[in-house]
Amino acid sequence: MDIEEVKRRAGPREFSPKDDLPEEYRKAATRMIQFHANSEIMGAYLERPFIREAPSLDRKLACSAKVQDEIGHGQLLYRAAESLGLKTRDEMLDELANGEGKFLNCFHYPMESWVETPMIAFFVDGAAMRRQATLKRTSWEPYAHAMDKVCFEEGFHVKHGEAILHELMTGSKKEQEMTQEAFEVWWPRIIQFFGPTNDKSTHHGFASEVGLKQMGNDELRTAFLNAYIPKAEKYGLEIPDEPRIRKNDDGTYEVVEEDLDWDEFFTIAKNDYDGSHQQINGRQKAQEAVDWVREVLDEHEAREFGSTQQQAAD
Amino acid sequence: MAVKESLPAPDELTDEQQEAVEHLLYRLADDEFVVAERYTEWQVRSPTLESDLALANIAQDELGHARLWYDLLEDFGYTESELVWERDPSEWRHSTLVEQPFAEGDWADAIVRSYLYDQAEYIRLEALEESSYPRIRDRIQKIIQEEDYHREHAENWMSRLAEEKQGLERLQTAFDRLFPYALTLFAPTDEDVEDRIDELGLRSDPLDVMREEWLDVVVPFFEDLGVSVDDAELPEQYDVHHSEFDLPEHVGRDQSHTDAWFDLQEEFTHTYQKLDRHEANRIMKDPDEA
Repeated sequence: MDIEEVKRRAGPREFSPKDDLPEEYRKAATRMIQFHANSEIMGAYLERPFIREAPSLDRKLACSAKVQDEIGHGQLLYRAAESLGLKTRDEMLDELANGEGKFLNCFHYPMESWVETPMIAFFVDGAAMRRQATLKRTSWEPYAHAMDKVCFEEGFHVKHGEAILHELMTGSKKEQEMTQEAFEVWWPRIIQFFGPTNDKSTHHGFASEVGLKQMGNDELRTAFLNAYIPKAEKYGLEIPDEPRIRKNDDGTYEVVEEDLDWDEFFTIAKNDYDGSHQQINGRQKAQEAVDWVREVLDEHEAREFGSTQQQAAD
Repeated sequence: MAVKESLPAPDELTDEQQEAVEHLLYRLADDEFVVAERYTEWQVRSPTLESDLALANIAQDELGHARLWYDLLEDFGYTESELVWERDPSEWRHSTLVEQPFAEGDWADAIVRSYLYDQAEYIRLEALEESSYPRIRDRIQKIIQEEDYHREHAENWMSRLAEEKQGLERLQTAFDRLFPYALTLFAPTDEDVEDRIDELGLRSDPLDVMREEWLDVVVPFFEDLGVSVDDAELPEQYDVHHSEFDLPEHVGRDQSHTDAWFDLQEEFTHTYQKLDRHEANRIMKDPDEA
């Protein structure tokens, strides 16, 4: 299939491993799905300390289950990326460990306090869910298929995050103040989740043309703000003055770009922010500490495989 | 052993009966809570994505069991806050096996620990199947079913690791360090109260009998894998009480703990303390309604 035919046929769940797809499509799809899978892993890495921090038994269980879900999503997504035939999962995990693998901006900021957990579990996951829902119609069928399960579980995560936010904002005055402070720190990052407006990124255009991306960043950001500004206010959070957000006549919101720190955003996109180093290196160290187990598993597999071969020969 | 007559409802127990039930429940609940707390350290740190998911499952099972046992302590009027979040760390009764910290990347420790723990757990749950305390008896079946999977998981991993030289060495090191602590799983909280637990028929086997049963399972299993138990200080056969020699300095059951426990307790109560919480919020259904 040539690229023109791909663009002509591009529609929801149109292409699968049975199709002979051009390298350009495979590369774009791999890049996008690998980014998504990496983000699941790094999100889980960011949240894992809060399994321990959770202030009730039920919440601890929920936090452990959420982190586990994210790892499960990573597993599904790496499989969907592998099915494009360009990279193996181990290669992608190694790229993530050595700092080549890219992932969502919000997961480059280390978290220190429990009051920050809803910033991820409610706002960032809520934002991610908007994007993911559109990806059920992506053109790479294994990716769309993975999204069915991911979206289903993300629904629970957002409820979990919302419940924590509700708890904090109906808690003591101190809890409310701490949560508001955390919100002010996280709010610009959350808005940047969708990237700069009128994104001129070359990847974006192509990904839309071949049906990998289903909705632009601007539309997604607007939809998110429409839904989440009222929710934040409902829980008693005050929307910070900056970045300025203008309400249009049609009720939609628009962000004043220049109020956001795009140098920081692009430093993060290069994995070069202080927090990026901290998160990536921390996870790399954890991955390397169990290298020995994977070596043992490989030896085990080689042995099993060897003996199967021999049996077949017999 | 014949089934003893059932004990009455929680609010109708004599003080002595209640004390026995409480000791038994603290053994169960504290072990499950703390072992789970340690297992969760492996989340996003396990050797593969698959093993990450599996250990997270086990941690959540154990946390769920802790929740079921603490719930029975709540029958006596305690709250979750009193039982978990505000209880003095020097009052906990879990075995010191489960509070040990993991060295980074020491997956063999996680596997050996869970093997030693889950085998003991299975034996003690079996001894509760015909407990004279109906509230305990009623919760055993669900828990025992989940434990089958845990034992299988640990056994599979041990077999795989033992096949390679590096893995076997790691298993040996973990065994040597953990085994003395594992013996504390069968240590008494208080000799008199443990005797009363047996007399009341709360469990069908006393601690020393369960310990023998456990040794008969775990020792041959390690030896078959090539892990030497020669250096382990095995308790003398049919020794009713643990002698001082067999056990490490800190036993746990008697509320003596290693430093690692006090650090761990400080960590998991950190948010609760920092936010000045006075209660633990419930989000799931009460086990009696579920």
